[in-house]
Amino acid sequence: MKSEWLHYSILRAASLLAPGNQRAEWVQEWQSELWYIRPRQATLFCLGSFRDAFWLRRNNPNPVKRTGIHLDSPLSCLALLATLAAVSLCIAVCLPAQDAIAPVRAGDLPRGCVSMLVFSWLLIPATVAVGWAPASRYRTPWHRRLCRGIFLALKIALIHPLMFCAFVALGPITPVFILACILALRWVFADQRRRCPVCLRLLTKPVRIGTPSQTFLEWYGAESTCSRGHGLLHTSEISASYAQKSQWLCLDGSWSGLFSAAANSAAKSGR
Amino acid sequence: MADSPRLSHTSAMILQAIDAGHIYGYTVMEVTGLPSGTVYPALRRMERDQLIRSKWERQSIADAELRPSRKYYKLSRSGEAALEASRKRYPLLAKLASKEGVANR
Repeated sequence: MKSEWLHYSILRAASLLAPGNQRAEWVQEWQSELWYIRPRQATLFCLGSFRDAFWLRRNNPNPVKRTGIHLDSPLSCLALLATLAAVSLCIAVCLPAQDAIAPVRAGDLPRGCVSMLVFSWLLIPATVAVGWAPASRYRTPWHRRLCRGIFLALKIALIHPLMFCAFVALGPITPVFILACILALRWVFADQRRRCPVCLRLLTKPVRIGTPSQTFLEWYGAESTCSRGHGLLHTSEISASYAQKSQWLCLDGSWSGLFSAAANSAAKSGR
Repeated sequence: MADSPRLSHTSAMILQAIDAGHIYGYTVMEVTGLPSGTVYPALRRMERDQLIRSKWERQSIADAELRPSRKYYKLSRSGEAALEASRKRYPLLAKLASKEGVANR
């Protein structure tokens, strides 16, 4: 009886890997097969279900649309970061005092965040992903550039409470803490580069273009699109003298019909 | 021959087992000696490639025998062609499982 419970638990755990729309049938198939297995082989048989579920997840022809947190729009990104910052500040205050760090009071938080800001400036050379706006033949209006700058500044500001919380939790500056800070800063700049310079939404539908054999005559890399039809971002796979920066190709108003139709169909399908 | 897909030895063994009448996942495991983590993903892959078809047996049959209903697999036309090509490539494949052997079980 005990082993039966174990086998069903293994299958249940593995079923979490299977796609939700096929999970019920998947569990039914494995449980019905389990009924025929000799007891001595059952555990090994059930362990194989993890590989099967993983295969099914990777090869699901109808993947369920993501229902998790979307960072596509700049507001949702900032809202998430602000929530995380608030939670991490609360955690920093509630954490018990470490040996080398005095207990944090609410009044210490602004000072702590500013010290993290100074510390992150020291780390910026280590964040290799630092990259500014992609090159464009068309000059972006000043108010768009201002919005882009404000968005970047807000992201940097909101990341510091998280860093401060990590500092309080991990103790004095450790390699793990430095690595976490570098990764957080890398994400801020990488996220900035993946956004449309006009509407600041995340670029979508990356498509691979070209092949490595075209290096001499053509570029090869990836092309992403702004879901609102503002333009395309060409990112070269290999940095060359003619393509050191990503190239932003601005699309004029004649393309808007195409993208609004796509946006409407996406909205209807429940995105 | 050029159009028929080239199967791995594992896939060919599984197709041969199904062709020989071992139509359930567990019986394929028994006859090929392959673990469940290999057989079931391979069955799904071959079903996706339309080499085999799966079907649930009727609930009434299973209820009459007081057991849960099982999913069984059958070769499709392209699966038969692929198996025929694999037999030429792996001459010992036919010895793995024979239809007579299943009939006597």
